[in-house]
Amino acid sequence: MLVGIPIGVITSIKNSFSILMRVSKKFRIGFIIIIGVTILALLSFSAPPQYIHWYSYPRSLPPTPTGIDLIFGTTANGRSVFWIFTNAIKNSLVIGIVTALIAPHIGLLVGIIAGLRGGIVDRVLMFITDTIIVIPALPLYVIVLMILKPHISAMGSPIPFMGLIFSITAWCWPARQVRAMVLSLREREFILTSSLSGNSMARIILREIIPHLLAWHLINLTNTVLYSIGMETGLSILGLSILDKDTLGTMIYWSLYYSALFRGLWWWYITPIVGVILVFLAFFLLSQGISEYVNPRLRQ
Amino acid sequence: MATLFTAFTFTFLLLRAMPVSAVENIVASFTVQGQVVDPQALEELRKTLYEVFGLIGSPIEQYISYLRRFLTLDFGPSIMSYPTPARELIIRRLPWTVSLLVFTTVLSWILGNLLGVFASINRKKRISKVLVSLSLTLYPIPYYIMALALIFLFAYLIPVFPLVGGFGEAVFTDIFILIREWLYRSTLPALSIILISMLGWWFLSSFTLTLNVQTEDYVYYAELRGLSQSRILKNYVFRNVLLPQVTTLGLSLGGIFGGALLTEILFTYPGIGMLAYRAVLSGDYPTALSMLSLTIIAVAIATYILDIVYPFIDPRVRHR
Repeated sequence: MLVGIPIGVITSIKNSFSILMRVSKKFRIGFIIIIGVTILALLSFSAPPQYIHWYSYPRSLPPTPTGIDLIFGTTANGRSVFWIFTNAIKNSLVIGIVTALIAPHIGLLVGIIAGLRGGIVDRVLMFITDTIIVIPALPLYVIVLMILKPHISAMGSPIPFMGLIFSITAWCWPARQVRAMVLSLREREFILTSSLSGNSMARIILREIIPHLLAWHLINLTNTVLYSIGMETGLSILGLSILDKDTLGTMIYWSLYYSALFRGLWWWYITPIVGVILVFLAFFLLSQGISEYVNPRLRQ
Repeated sequence: MATLFTAFTFTFLLLRAMPVSAVENIVASFTVQGQVVDPQALEELRKTLYEVFGLIGSPIEQYISYLRRFLTLDFGPSIMSYPTPARELIIRRLPWTVSLLVFTTVLSWILGNLLGVFASINRKKRISKVLVSLSLTLYPIPYYIMALALIFLFAYLIPVFPLVGGFGEAVFTDIFILIREWLYRSTLPALSIILISMLGWWFLSSFTLTLNVQTEDYVYYAELRGLSQSRILKNYVFRNVLLPQVTTLGLSLGGIFGGALLTEILFTYPGIGMLAYRAVLSGDYPTALSMLSLTIIAVAIATYILDIVYPFIDPRVRHR
């Protein structure tokens, strides 16, 4: 029985995936872009070791199709834009995924508790959630990172830690979403049947409620990835990210710092921007595709 | 107002969770860097930070002194332009930010909703399909990325506006120059916010909402009653689309605010965002903290106003 659940889940995920690929154009496009972005991120592992140092390539070189190193040109301090870009995508994705591993799960828990318990628990939890949603997260993180920045740079693995920090507020939207779903699920008859059949609360949650929330949870996961990457990029513009590591945000920061456009180095300026747009578009289209799949009313 | 206290309590707990040595590190970093900082300013900073991070007195005393500082925006003198209080620096920049935000938010909310309803009614037409795909592309893009793209388009490819930093310091002699200056400086930042939030957020959500409302029974019934199309739209569809949109507006204000701060930096628009940037560069904690508490208060007030306005749009809330 216990072995049966994962196999059933896997086949149902497989089935939904093939349906989604066939039916939803958005999902298809999003998925293709994600594959492209992932390939770029994986390419970062084959980056030549000298890419991290300054002046290992000619300075301010426009894109030249002679080799993969120079395909996107070089920066004002002689680094290959292409290799910075692949590493930036990898690091940004890591930040997003770390947040996605933590925050939506907290949100799922809070949402289920609030939705099932109802009453005063629900009201208190939702009040806290709504408040944190309303607080402008950016000024908050400005303070937090101003304090933590010297500590983060000294840390062994600063990139995942950034993802951890953004979980402080990222759980709120998922919690709201899950709670709304649980509220409507709670009134359905199969939940009542299950509860009258003498099933325990834990079993009802695991067997009856969570399967219905899976698709929404997936949407929350993709949205959290975007939230986190967006936050990191935004804070980088203020110079509040890990500036000695390459992320999409710090790439933008350095190109602004060296006023790339003013020097005419448009390839350095435009690459991270296109990267951010691609990543955001891909994850957004994925979540749109899934939400149209689970909510037929959204289909056009 | 309860929102305000919860928000401040949340930030209080968050700041308490920071490593305790942070304050001494901050103060020490000023002396290590060899910056010329007035010793009195440092003493004030240390006192402020000790209170804000809750390092003096019993927990209740800490909380009260912390609340007092956050509610009165009293974080002592700013570091970068000692001895001006940080509060004054912020308040001086406030009109720029508020004018930009109010203008763009209101305009994009109204236009976006109208366009969404329009596109949803004519969804078979080509224009509506173009709008939808455009908005699907714009929706996920953050403001500041749009801002960067606009800088590339309108300052580099087609040089209508000066490149980043080309605006120079604001000098005002008379009202006409002020207005001209405001328009010149606001166009691109406003455009980057309006494009995203009008064509992205509000358009898409009002488009889907209208689709849903149009299939509701009461709209069907109104059609059967032979009401005119315009009357159905105005009284049945539009109202029911606007209601959830008001709630969404309240919830997304914080995000709009944060995004606008970054947009200001990219365009060197002389608002709070630019101040925040300079505060970060010079490690000016009093200014950064004042900015945080001011934005929380501002957003709380804005949501409060929305709460008051809500019953006027939704009669169901009034009756309860």
